[in-house]
Amino acid sequence: MGNEILEEHINSDYKYGFVTDIEADNAPKGLNEDIIRFISKKKNEPEWMLEYRLKAFAYWKTLEEPNWAHVSYTKPNFQDIIYYSAPKPKKELKSLDEVDPELLKTFEKLGISLEEQKRLSGVESKIAVDAVIDSVSVKTTFKETLSEKGIIFCSFSEAVQEHPDLVKKYMGTVVPHTDNFYAALNAAVFSDGSFCYIPKGVRCPMELSTYFRINASGTGQFERTLLIADEGSYVSYLEGCTAPMRDENQLHAAVVEIVAHKNAEVKYSTVQNWYPGDKDGKGGIFNFVTKRGICLEDNSKISWTQVETGSAVTWKYPSVILKGDNSIGEFYSVAVTNNYQQADTGTKMMHLGKNTRSTIISKGISAGFSNNSYRGLVRIAKGASNARNFSQCDSLLMGDKCGAHTFPYIEIKDKSAIVEHEATTSKIGEDQIFYCNQRGIDTEKAIGLIVNGYCKEVLNQLPMEFAVEAQKLLAVSLEGSVG
Amino acid sequence: METITKTSLKDKLIGQYELTKPSFVGDAAIREMAINAFVKQGLPGRKHEEYKYLNFELILKGDYSFSHSHSLAAQQIQSLYLLKDAYVAVFVNGQFNSNLSKLNDLPKGLIICSLPEAFEKHKTIVEQHYAKHADVNADNFIALNTALASDGCFVHVSKGAIIEKPIHLLYISSATENLILNSRNLVVVEENAQVKIVESFEVKDLTSKVVTNASSEIVVMPNAIVDHYKVQNESEQSILINTTQVYQEKQSVFSTVNFTLNGGVVRNNLNIVLGGEYIESHLNGLYLTKNNQQVDNHTLVDHRMPNCNSNELYKGIIDDKSVATFNGKIYVRKDAQKTNAFQSNKNILLSDDGTINTKPQLEIYADDVKCSHGTSTGKLDEDQVFYLRARGLSETSAKKLLMHAFASEVVSTVKIDELRDYLEAEISARFE
Repeated sequence: MGNEILEEHINSDYKYGFVTDIEADNAPKGLNEDIIRFISKKKNEPEWMLEYRLKAFAYWKTLEEPNWAHVSYTKPNFQDIIYYSAPKPKKELKSLDEVDPELLKTFEKLGISLEEQKRLSGVESKIAVDAVIDSVSVKTTFKETLSEKGIIFCSFSEAVQEHPDLVKKYMGTVVPHTDNFYAALNAAVFSDGSFCYIPKGVRCPMELSTYFRINASGTGQFERTLLIADEGSYVSYLEGCTAPMRDENQLHAAVVEIVAHKNAEVKYSTVQNWYPGDKDGKGGIFNFVTKRGICLEDNSKISWTQVETGSAVTWKYPSVILKGDNSIGEFYSVAVTNNYQQADTGTKMMHLGKNTRSTIISKGISAGFSNNSYRGLVRIAKGASNARNFSQCDSLLMGDKCGAHTFPYIEIKDKSAIVEHEATTSKIGEDQIFYCNQRGIDTEKAIGLIVNGYCKEVLNQLPMEFAVEAQKLLAVSLEGSVG
Repeated sequence: METITKTSLKDKLIGQYELTKPSFVGDAAIREMAINAFVKQGLPGRKHEEYKYLNFELILKGDYSFSHSHSLAAQQIQSLYLLKDAYVAVFVNGQFNSNLSKLNDLPKGLIICSLPEAFEKHKTIVEQHYAKHADVNADNFIALNTALASDGCFVHVSKGAIIEKPIHLLYISSATENLILNSRNLVVVEENAQVKIVESFEVKDLTSKVVTNASSEIVVMPNAIVDHYKVQNESEQSILINTTQVYQEKQSVFSTVNFTLNGGVVRNNLNIVLGGEYIESHLNGLYLTKNNQQVDNHTLVDHRMPNCNSNELYKGIIDDKSVATFNGKIYVRKDAQKTNAFQSNKNILLSDDGTINTKPQLEIYADDVKCSHGTSTGKLDEDQVFYLRARGLSETSAKKLLMHAFASEVVSTVKIDELRDYLEAEISARFE
């Protein structure tokens, strides 16, 4: 019986596979200094930004693509990628009516229409959407509400133009261009992204959110997000994405940097549902992301929550550097892989300050022929007294052709540290399903129920709007994957 | 123009192979394959993922000789015979020494001899297993050992033989010049046989840096039961790379306990392959480190077949500037359904300068399994110390008691009373 449902699911098409026809302003394929100059010029960037890009590019050329992760894929040909594609510039938009109807339709299909968001704005829950289509931010809503509080929330290129001091001060401080292969590439060719600054003592009144979407064919997307929370501020940032169906692999190498000052708190949530490739493992997105936050000063807190269900290959380690005393880092993750998807994801917690704490909860679910790995590092530096870490990474296997792996690295150089790590691997118990069946819940729903229960600790961390979406996503991703 | 030529250690080792090639016994083809593998791999440096925390390129720096000469006499090493009543094979600087060994009245069904002798007298059995389990392409030191090992021990327990007395393989380093030693053991325990083996690594009158690269292959045939113990008690100048490759057949039981009490650099590679159904494997370890010692325990449990159990517990107490690393990997293959695999690593860090690196890994490709691992690191529990102090114990004795209790979980798994008493005494002495 399980097989029937499994097959049904395997044969179901990717729900969000469609292409929006917006005339793109593409750069020629390939990567060299001229392309970088082209991107920089196109975006009308100041000289220092171009220099930064070129510096990163020069460094990138010295690097080799890393291959330590537990994934295998055809390495992208970096000369066969279009590094810049932007919808043609339109006049400044004031209302949604002026937005390209094609674009609005795309969002509608995704079920996240701007209109709905705007309607919601009158009600309690407010979400400011910085809609990113291809690499350029098209529309920013709620900007006015935010600017009243002094919050800057805009596209990265806008920030380069309007707040160069802030960008210059913080960009590359958390993820330097020398960090890794993909971070270097991103620093050289990033097209756009989001910039957010929360001033001293401000509690951001709404959830900030960016929807990423990869659109034009053959376009790599190189997002760059910079989030700065000044003293005593609070912000919750959401990021979610879906991508159209494609046959060739698409590369996505984003960089996210978070800086939390004294007493600041940042909550960063992601729901990732990019095209994972078809049932034979053809196509799908390569998601090679560098995400890192730094608790720069005392009593700050950074919390990562992620629900990863998409992408053919995922490589992602949202990390926290706990530099300030009493700072807190958190990582909550659900990673689902099906068919031939591969995920190597986890976190790094670097304890440098005193009395720092970190919590890692990772839930992996693998089905089909997929491989799902947790890879994490907990490092307690010398002098980071009374550091505390608790890690738990559980894996759930559905079917006997998938793999679940755990690679935790723990490095401790301080005797007062207390570090715990636990991991289990199991499958959904037949008794659990039987119990549900007995009570009139069919196997399909029972699995949804059990999986959602299994992931509850993580889903609870998501903001309300996302939690609902995430639950649905999990159910869809695992429909019928009875082991 | 003047050119300075400096032979690297790698080249020197390869040169040593060429030099000693004519005198080797055994299968030349295997050695040739091994040296080729070593030429390809070299010595592991910092970039080598499996040797991430031990940079052997750096550790092994220096000039070495391959000599085996020594001047030890039986009365000098009395204290090193850990067990009163045992079959003892003694190896000094990697060479079998029949004068120091006690192998006079071996019971029926037991063979203990040097490896060259085994290649002569028991050719069929040896060739069936020798270098068949330790893969020269899998590890740099296995390759080096297979290429260069000239001596070692062969233990064979025939079908159904139950050997009551333990077997003690005693390795002694005694030298005044820097040495690299490669010794190689083969242990074959046939169907329904039972045996207890103790390996101990000791030093006597050692004034130089000695690198011991010791490998053992242990083959456990169906229904056999093997208790294996290792006591590593060398000096801070010595470097020990100890590979144990175990292959288990169906329904066999293999238990090993590894004690690292002293040594400059100790690297243990323990690989167990569960090649049949209903196998039980127990891996335990205890390491006590101090000063600048580095101890690195790597274990790999490879579940290839269904319905097997493995259980692993490694504990460490780390003091001063020492570095302890644990890397345990459980590998559950596709067919290994109904596997139960557990792994635990617990550490106590006593000093501000010590380092603990731990990496408990799971790689699982089967769905109907129960696997878990856990690791914890911390100082001694203050509540526990307080509890004892409230009952009138001094702080030092309270801590001693707790450390002893921490260690005894591993020590209590030793089934040879004499050995357990010895270890308990050694450990108590350490905490004084």
